[in-house]
Amino acid sequence: MTTATYSPNATMPCLICEQKNTLEAIVCNTCGAPMALIQEAVTQDRDPCIITVVGDSNVGKTVYLGMLLDMLSNRADDFEAIPKGAYSVNLQHAVVSHLSMRQFPPKTATEVDDWHWAYYQIRRRKRTTNIYDLVMPDMAGEAIAAEVANPKTFKVIRSLLEKSAGAILLVDGALSAAGSPQPDFFALKLMSYLDGVIASRHEEKLTTPVAIVLSKGDYCPEVFEDPRGFAQSNLHRLWNICESRFAHYEFFATSVVGALAYGADECGNVVPFPLHIAPRGVVEPFEWVLTRLQDGRKRR
Amino acid sequence: MALKLFSRRKSDDQVAAKHRGRHEGPGHDPASESFQPAPFPALDNDALKRAFQQGRYCAILRDQTNLKSNPLFASVVNDVHRELEQRMALVPAGTVSIAQTLSAQPGDPEEDITVEAFLLDIYCVTNARFQHFVDACGYDMLEYWPEEIWPHLIELKDLTGQPGPRFWRQGRHDVRLANHPVVGISWYEAQAYSLWIGQRLPTEAEWQMAASWHLHSSTNLVRRFPWGDAMDKKRCNIWGSRIGGSVPVTEYPNGAAPNHVLQLVGNVWEWTDTEYTVVDGNNRAIVGEMPMHVVRGGAFDTYFDFQATSQFRTGQLALARAHNTGFRCAMNLADASWINGG
Repeated sequence: MTTATYSPNATMPCLICEQKNTLEAIVCNTCGAPMALIQEAVTQDRDPCIITVVGDSNVGKTVYLGMLLDMLSNRADDFEAIPKGAYSVNLQHAVVSHLSMRQFPPKTATEVDDWHWAYYQIRRRKRTTNIYDLVMPDMAGEAIAAEVANPKTFKVIRSLLEKSAGAILLVDGALSAAGSPQPDFFALKLMSYLDGVIASRHEEKLTTPVAIVLSKGDYCPEVFEDPRGFAQSNLHRLWNICESRFAHYEFFATSVVGALAYGADECGNVVPFPLHIAPRGVVEPFEWVLTRLQDGRKRR
Repeated sequence: MALKLFSRRKSDDQVAAKHRGRHEGPGHDPASESFQPAPFPALDNDALKRAFQQGRYCAILRDQTNLKSNPLFASVVNDVHRELEQRMALVPAGTVSIAQTLSAQPGDPEEDITVEAFLLDIYCVTNARFQHFVDACGYDMLEYWPEEIWPHLIELKDLTGQPGPRFWRQGRHDVRLANHPVVGISWYEAQAYSLWIGQRLPTEAEWQMAASWHLHSSTNLVRRFPWGDAMDKKRCNIWGSRIGGSVPVTEYPNGAAPNHVLQLVGNVWEWTDTEYTVVDGNNRAIVGEMPMHVVRGGAFDTYFDFQATSQFRTGQLALARAHNTGFRCAMNLADASWINGG
């Protein structure tokens, strides 16, 4: 990936990992973040708005993020999203291509330089003044888990979260509904990690908006009826840390698949197949985070 | 046979006025807090007239032996014929090719099925029509439910624990959605209703015949959509139509099939009588967690246009009570006595 021309004298730091890159670099040669972001930030004198999607392995981050970007590109809910560079389209392209062939996209690689980064400028069509630079990497769940367990294993994740204006935390609603404590524990760890990362800002309760999204609602439609109530009764640990440490959080439910069936791969492993696609609750968490950020801008 | 599986609270304030569905704007959340329960329709004490009011037209025709002694029988049967002529359309005989593989690529195996002429509902079953089934204690009438579902019948309840579609409350639909397709019903509920009114669910092949209009003719014309070959989001309600919810069953007249059957594509997926079987590219079976039935046509939230065509086949768990799946009914031409001059 990356540098088009080597220029030893002219460099600029990556906005995320702060490693130096040549001016011609399209994406950072260390963390893969889009270098256009810092160029835009300089030329347009506008703070970039990073919204990070985090969650455990197999929670559905890639599908969620890919669908979100595609729906925004399709002007869902009055949003207009312009990809800044062809590389930004890769994630949604990969997700939509796989889903349209009734397959799930492959697991995101743990290696940082294999992650898809998407950089979009987004505005609401009826409100022309507010433009957001959205940078959303598709991070591997294993990498997030490793960083949470051993901070600084993946420095880029810490840097990213430090610079994030908002976060979307995906929690496996179906697994949680089945009684597994794993989603609750992982979400607790992540929120605790987020608390530690952003605590350097010396705030009482953290004001960073966090949308907590119960994923895989197609397995467990009950989560749509009352996501907040579901979290209160099934994700106690997460609920408690949200109440005590976060000023702005809300629970949502989402699903992308309308129906699932199962088959086997060449090795005899069970493989799920998405039979048809019916996105539900995909844009709402993003919209909520954006609204909180807009409110924050107004207050400032 | 009837079994009281649920203790019902009969409302004292049953409204005498005839229930009429109101067309509201699209995208209502049926589970919202502003729920407006539908009034109880006034029904006649006479069994024949009541069956007519409940929309059980074909049940009346099937039960002529018992009902013939009723002095009103002849006039009610005339009314039944008139109603059925307005509510059902003839789908001519033809042939359909059903894809057998998940990817349904050109060249993949297909099954050619010949379809006899039959009658199909012009509209999907609405909340208002399904209300009659709930009010008549249809969930307690075991003769309309296959035996394997009996232990699960008590789980088929609404948001308040009463028997009925999943998003209803206290056994009532939201009056603003009276003319919207009933959703939140499993395949078993769709089938039970169909049997109760004396009809049946269409087979997958029949549904495809109605939507693709592949007649026995030298032209060999197959329509991708009921209105023609090109997707037009002004003719149907899918994700790209930007509606965001179901619409009344009478909407989109410009998306009708040649015989005026509406909304075969979009608005809600439609249950069919056919079990969903499909294989992958290596002929290995793809199965659900439970038995699945074929649903057809796409819904208001169908994201990919190609998944809302007359050929696209997919399945849903027979017990799933999805927010985007409804049904319409069919009947054999042989049972249409007024058409056959019987």
